[in-house]
Amino acid sequence: MAETGRLTAPARARRWVQAHPVTTLRIVIIVAVLLVWEGLARSGWLYRDVVPSWVAIGRALVVTLSDATFYWHLYTTFYEIGWAMVIGGVSGLAVGILLGGSKLMQRAYEPLLYYLGPCPKIIFFPVMIMWFGVGPGSKIAMGAISCFFPVALNVAGGMREIDKVLIRVGRSFRANTWQMVTKVYMPAMRHPIINGVRLGLGVCLIGTLLAETKLSNAGVGFLVIQSYTLFNMPHMYSLLIVLFVIAIGANALIGKLGGLDQIRRS
Amino acid sequence: MSAVAMPSERDAVPGAAEPILVVDRIVKRFDTPDGTLTAVDDVSLSIKPGEFFGVIGPSGCGKSTLFNVIGGLLDGYDGAVRVGGETVRGPHPAIGMIFQEESTFPWRSVIDNVAFPLEIAGMPKAERYARAGHFVSLVGLNGFERRFPAELSGGMRQRVSMARTLAAEPKIMLMDEPFASLDEQTRLLLGDKVLQIQQELKQTTLLITHNITEAVQLSDRIMVMTYRPGKVKRIVDIDLPRPRTSEIVSSEAFGRYVAQIWNDLREEATRGLLDDESRKLRAGGPS
Repeated sequence: MAETGRLTAPARARRWVQAHPVTTLRIVIIVAVLLVWEGLARSGWLYRDVVPSWVAIGRALVVTLSDATFYWHLYTTFYEIGWAMVIGGVSGLAVGILLGGSKLMQRAYEPLLYYLGPCPKIIFFPVMIMWFGVGPGSKIAMGAISCFFPVALNVAGGMREIDKVLIRVGRSFRANTWQMVTKVYMPAMRHPIINGVRLGLGVCLIGTLLAETKLSNAGVGFLVIQSYTLFNMPHMYSLLIVLFVIAIGANALIGKLGGLDQIRRS
Repeated sequence: MSAVAMPSERDAVPGAAEPILVVDRIVKRFDTPDGTLTAVDDVSLSIKPGEFFGVIGPSGCGKSTLFNVIGGLLDGYDGAVRVGGETVRGPHPAIGMIFQEESTFPWRSVIDNVAFPLEIAGMPKAERYARAGHFVSLVGLNGFERRFPAELSGGMRQRVSMARTLAAEPKIMLMDEPFASLDEQTRLLLGDKVLQIQQELKQTTLLITHNITEAVQLSDRIMVMTYRPGKVKRIVDIDLPRPRTSEIVSSEAFGRYVAQIWNDLREEATRGLLDDESRKLRAGGPS
């Protein structure tokens, strides 16, 4: 211990780098991007403000975060994403179980889902506006449609992959249908379900925010497109940073759910 | 050519008790692309309470089909399965099954796996954990209660499955090659465990296997099945002293039983092998 105390600062840094190669590489790439960005901002090669300096973005971020109306817009976006996940997730789960549980249903409907799944959902947006209006309703619909497909397809696939012997174990102990679903099928499908929700959340964020930027009167997506229209680039970038943080946070949250199988049940 | 002529009265079985499990002229056919396959053909058995009954046959003789029919997981057969005189269709509480495949629930800890049948039966939490704990220690897994199957060896996982089935306290244990995926030493030692538990709980056991040593080590009687269709070829009484341990495998009498059963089995296994080869030849022939 006394040995370490006498090490010089560069020697200690070198030791830390050797001990944490992954973290070091991550820091290197982030610092490099920030430096290139700042270099571009100061070079004058591009229009002023297209690549604003980090100082300007930082200042804009402070202004954004201290503005009460921003939180109202943030709340609107969360509200839309939340309902979109609930509606899209639950209907995806139900349809997935139906497709996974019946050969006939699978053959009849799964190809449809496979072809509709990758198709850009934004083309439904005009329809959704006519059905649910310009407000949060049409955004929820867009998010829900986006989220539905990955959840349904993952659950259907997961249901078919369940180890058949586990089903026989459940039956041999005379579990009823409800017990089979809650104590065998659902836990056995936990990985595909969580995976579907993770993918679903990603496309749900895309669907909802894309819809907000297209036509809306509230939400973070609306603020982004508004600051773009007003050519307030620092403000726009500060909003993008907020969105990044939300997306990362949401993924981390779902990743945590992935560890659920290690937690004791019942 | 007859089975070793020994009196079939078992000391462990009190008198001429009513059979606890009767399999009456079971016929099970499957429809396959190549036509109808008779997996089990006219098999009848009568097993006394406390008896350890082995079923042995080459692979493809319909042993597992018989297992699933008796366990009530397979329907659409002719004949009847009777438990204590009552005809049963579907899973019966008096019958517990141990499967050949890895069958522990990977998302449940050892104790939660063992408590599963009690949970299904609606037993209160405290009671079911106490009972499950008892069976975990019976199979010698004390200290592993909170571990998950992924953290255990294959032999330990199979003991978890065994404890789980035992926890439901079935009168009859059905085992379908429970040690098939384990190495020989683990298999012998687990066999000891099964014998010890069976002698302690006085359970009636039906063991399905393709391993002659295992069958002779554990059974009071062994039924040898024929290859396709699966019929009863012979029922052999194993008159070896009880209580037994795996040490019995080195005795002379043991060797005689093994030789005798292999004699019966070799013919069937050869037939199975030839059949398998000719089928592969036809499937993979020049086109």
